[in-house]
Amino acid sequence: MELAAGLIFVAALAVIAFEWVHRTKAALVGAGLVVLVGAIDQDRAIEAVDWATLGLLAGMMILVGLTERTGVFTYVALRVAQLSGGRPLRLVFLLAGVTGVLSAFLDNLTAILLVVPITFLLADVLRITPIPLVLVEVLASNIGGTATLIGDPPNIMIGTHREELSFLDFIVNLAPVSLVTLLAVTTLLYLVFRRQLVVPPERAAEIQRLDAARDMRESPYVKRSLAVLLGTIVAFFLHAPLHVEPAVVALVGATVLLLVAADNVEEALERIEWSTLFFFMGLFVMVGALEEQGVIGEVADLVADVTGGSAVGEGLAILWGAALGSALVDNIPFTAAMIPVVDELGAADESFEDANWWALALGACFGGNATLIAAAANVAAAGVAERSGHPISFGRFLLIGLPVTLLSLVIATVYMLLFQL
Amino acid sequence: MRTLSRIELVPASVSRSATFLEAAEALTAHSVPTLAVVDDRGRVVGLFGGEDLLRGFFPGYLADLRHTAFASDDPGILAERARAVSSEPVEKHMRKPVTVDEDASAMHVAERFLHCDFGALAVVEGERFVGMLSRADFCRAVLTAS
Repeated sequence: MELAAGLIFVAALAVIAFEWVHRTKAALVGAGLVVLVGAIDQDRAIEAVDWATLGLLAGMMILVGLTERTGVFTYVALRVAQLSGGRPLRLVFLLAGVTGVLSAFLDNLTAILLVVPITFLLADVLRITPIPLVLVEVLASNIGGTATLIGDPPNIMIGTHREELSFLDFIVNLAPVSLVTLLAVTTLLYLVFRRQLVVPPERAAEIQRLDAARDMRESPYVKRSLAVLLGTIVAFFLHAPLHVEPAVVALVGATVLLLVAADNVEEALERIEWSTLFFFMGLFVMVGALEEQGVIGEVADLVADVTGGSAVGEGLAILWGAALGSALVDNIPFTAAMIPVVDELGAADESFEDANWWALALGACFGGNATLIAAAANVAAAGVAERSGHPISFGRFLLIGLPVTLLSLVIATVYMLLFQL
Repeated sequence: MRTLSRIELVPASVSRSATFLEAAEALTAHSVPTLAVVDDRGRVVGLFGGEDLLRGFFPGYLADLRHTAFASDDPGILAERARAVSSEPVEKHMRKPVTVDEDASAMHVAERFLHCDFGALAVVEGERFVGMLSRADFCRAVLTAS
């Protein structure tokens, strides 16, 4: 049964990595199979689903979806382009900064879906090729999302699983290294792309003429939506002293916004990406089966053996291993499988447990930049690019994503060695 | 079509080998908002309507945007896009067909219209394309009959 659970999980990962079928179908089939073959019984399968993660995701989807209707994010993206004055250095850093911050406080997939389409339009207005800007945004979103508990799905899973780690703990331990990495990576990207981003002066003047706030003026719920979104973000900072889980914060915020800024509840709930939630459900059940069958324990023992029980070795193995696994598969299923492994390692040596969680978060989130399939944000951006007639190939993404990931991991390694291990 | 046999169907169709521009010209030449794309045996393989025409002529990212009141028209970009799309095969831009049989009831036709966003449905006899039934003509017939 142990072998069956392992094989089903590996097969599902392969199907997801090669995109043979939609990832949600792969995860649900895998979950169904582990229950049917008896690798996990149905009661345990239901217990294995981390409902807090699903609640946090659903709440944020509603909050961001309803706020997006106001046009505020389009306004921000347009203002960034206008503030850049068409100068490549400013444009790259401002876009990376805004995408990074939006990713940290909304989540990186949402941030990408908000900024990438408007970037294509801006590139058209500025008469520059859009793909360098899109790549800057995607890479910045994965780094920015690393900074907070809600910024990237791996962090959401870690934060909701390990309740002792608060929103503020994530910021204190991950935001500084994310900021340094974002600056270093953006500098690298600017050096690589600067010649492709030269804007003709008349086009720079054209973008200044656009009325960025026009859509917002036509929307009835701007102030209410922004107040609730900002209030929810403040509540995330306070969730630990208030003894309220992040998922509850997100769902309460979503409920308040439904009350004050949604005329039609059913239409508002269409903002929930059900396929993503079911994808997570399938993963949790498959990983539950791996735990039930002792596979996770064996992987943890293997990591402990390889690193000789050294805390430094363990932390770095998790950091680089998570990055490699995320690059090859997808950082969401990989993190789902690694969380119980880190749990097991922590049970053996409690003093370094938190450091291992930060190593996992940094490895999985930064590893999400390595390949086109490594993070949901990359796949989403590639989809928009394809529809816009500018497909991003796996090779093209790898050419820039891999060096960026290596640079990020070197920074993360130095950070871990200096401050965590 | 039992209850609506007096509705005049419009024989608006293009071959599946047609280009986007040919389909767009055929669409605007006919009085229906959607036309059928048919194979060499007269079977409906897709529908091409105003939405497909807009998606073709305007940049693909437009469908991912919801707030464009600020945008200004750039004739250069639109002309470039039109040039690029004109020679593409219509097959790349058509959507899965929605068809009704020639003897379908008004209830069934109404249900089909309610569940699709095409302005006209392809009416078939067996597998063979007969003509396009527009939403407006159907509504007119329902009103007249009632």
